[in-house]
Amino acid sequence: MRSLFSDAPRVTLTAIYWAFIFYLLLPLTLMMAMSFKDANFVAFPIGEWTLDWYAKVLQDKQFLEACLYSIMIAAATTLAATVLGVWIAMLIVAEGIKGQVIIFALACLPAVVPGMISAISLRIFISTIDMPTGTAAIILGHTVHAVPFVVVMALTRLRSMPGNLVDAARDLGADSFVAFLRVTLPYLGPALFGGMIFCVLLSIDDFVRTFFLGGYRPTLPMLIFAKVQGGMSPEINAMATLVLVVTAAVGLYAEYLTRRARTR
Amino acid sequence: MEPVVQFDHVTKNYGSQVAVDDLNLSIEAGKFVTLLGPSGCGKSTSLRMLGGFEMPTSGRILLSGKDVTRVPPNKRNVNIVFQDYALFPHMNVAKNIAFGLELKGLDNKSIHRRVSELLELVQLQDYANRLPNELSGGQRQRVALMRALAPDPDVLLLDEPLSALDAKLRQQMQIELKAIQEKTGKTFMFVTHDQEEALTMSDTIVVMNNGRIEQMGDPSTLYGRPGSVFVANFIGETNLLRSTVLGAEGNLTALDWNGITIKADQGGLSPKAGEHLYVVLRPESIHCSATEPTSGNRIKGKIRQRVFKGNHTSLAVEVGDGAVLNTLVHPGDVAQLAGDDIWVGWKPETATVIPDRHAHR
Ligand SMILES: Nc1ncnc2c1ncn2[C@@H]1O[C@H](COP(=O)(O)OP(=O)(O)OP(=O)(O)O)[C@@H](O)[C@H]1O
Ligand SMILES: [Mg+2]
Repeated sequence: MRSLFSDAPRVTLTAIYWAFIFYLLLPLTLMMAMSFKDANFVAFPIGEWTLDWYAKVLQDKQFLEACLYSIMIAAATTLAATVLGVWIAMLIVAEGIKGQVIIFALACLPAVVPGMISAISLRIFISTIDMPTGTAAIILGHTVHAVPFVVVMALTRLRSMPGNLVDAARDLGADSFVAFLRVTLPYLGPALFGGMIFCVLLSIDDFVRTFFLGGYRPTLPMLIFAKVQGGMSPEINAMATLVLVVTAAVGLYAEYLTRRARTR
Repeated sequence: MEPVVQFDHVTKNYGSQVAVDDLNLSIEAGKFVTLLGPSGCGKSTSLRMLGGFEMPTSGRILLSGKDVTRVPPNKRNVNIVFQDYALFPHMNVAKNIAFGLELKGLDNKSIHRRVSELLELVQLQDYANRLPNELSGGQRQRVALMRALAPDPDVLLLDEPLSALDAKLRQQMQIELKAIQEKTGKTFMFVTHDQEEALTMSDTIVVMNNGRIEQMGDPSTLYGRPGSVFVANFIGETNLLRSTVLGAEGNLTALDWNGITIKADQGGLSPKAGEHLYVVLRPESIHCSATEPTSGNRIKGKIRQRVFKGNHTSLAVEVGDGAVLNTLVHPGDVAQLAGDDIWVGWKPETATVIPDRHAHR
């Protein structure tokens, strides 16, 4: 027989779950709501609604330039991290290479080092080698941070790859490079795509490393930060909402694609 | 004629484990050769060494007379059909088959022609654009076979390619595989642990045990004249009668088996009186009857077990103290049931003797 009492843990868990969702979504919802407010102050009540803030943001040269800059950095980061990450993953699964566990641990380290520490150490590093702050330094910092995620995703996929696919390619006349290009890489495809999207999002989102390594040209998070310091305005809300919607859409689309590819 | 494949004193060790032990083997062009043996006897290792995926610890491998021991897989003119087919999942059937041709540097037109030709050979013309996971097991099997045949290898290697198929399809594919081999005239080197499969398809069977060749010959020789207890047990069902030689009688030799005198073919040996030997007696060579046969070896026994097997019935007949002979009869031929008395008999020349030593080391 079921009593109210025996249901209690379940009810409690459900309640906690919904409370958590509420807590998660409330600030985002508030932020989005304010972006439509037809007034200069971010506060309730919202009297009139408007899309003016969006129009303003989309005409804001600074914002558009920061977007472009962030995207450029993300693209370069992704390219570098993908090449490095796949290469490291291949090393880890390769036969006859010693210290694979150590390679793996080292490759994953940047993912667990606190952003602050990593940012400071990178800053010290670039000044030691006389590298100026700016684009190259930012890309370097973002890449170090993104590589572990590519490694893990590529590794998971590589481990599920039937070992004799590469043997079959070699058998049919491919040298190891051609076999990698024509068999391993396409097999990695979906996982790699997911990993790359993740790199893009990581890079665009990165504030701490960018802050320490950046020059005068602001990336998107730096621009938003600067604007917030100048006082809250619904324009910032509109900016943030745009970023949120676009990144969420990209993330979901990537997830959908990888999922579809995986079930095939 | 020069053999296509030669293993010359090839040994392969994995640490202290000897996978292949001093293998010497020559294979003639155009033959269907099967490596047969129990799990772990070194069949795959031998095949992978020929394919270039394992390096022999010692010895040489020759392909069409050329030493290829140290040549990488992509530079050897042999192709493998893998056990799980290893079709490239992101390429359709035509692309899979074309893979080896592209790497050989053929032009598009010849590639296209060759692919259609091969697809036609296995009636898969309509499947050219399917992905491997949109095919049945048998179809995948055919595609893997055609992919390996496409670059026109000197030898086609097949590592248990039929083991993933169900029994019915397997029999069908055995026949199809043999037909393709005959049609193309290619040398096939086939690996299996299924003796029936080996008997069905092979021109030559190489029985392996513990990394060594136990016996090599055509199927009927191996079945009819097994050279060792291991081969006799491994190929087909058999009765092994441990007997003592009494003396020779022409081509035959007389032996004492559990106090019963029987005769058997000498099988190329020259047995001496007093020597212990095994007599190999296949179940289907034994005849059962209610009355005493007039000639040949004959023993009176009692049916211990009678099992209906569809197209035949198997009888286990107890003769003398505890010794049992397994026989095959047509269901209608013998009416006696378990517990009934019966005569078993066989022609001396249908049984052969083999030395009394277990799988030699
Ligand atoms: N990579 C390896 N490392 C260590 N030992 C191995 C390796 N490959 C094979 N062996 C050993 O070598 C022996 C022969 O293996 P092989 O795969 O050739 O057997 P097989 O005859 O193909 O058996 P099966 O019918 O089970 O496929 C086995 O004892 C196996 O354990
Ligand atoms: Mg094997």
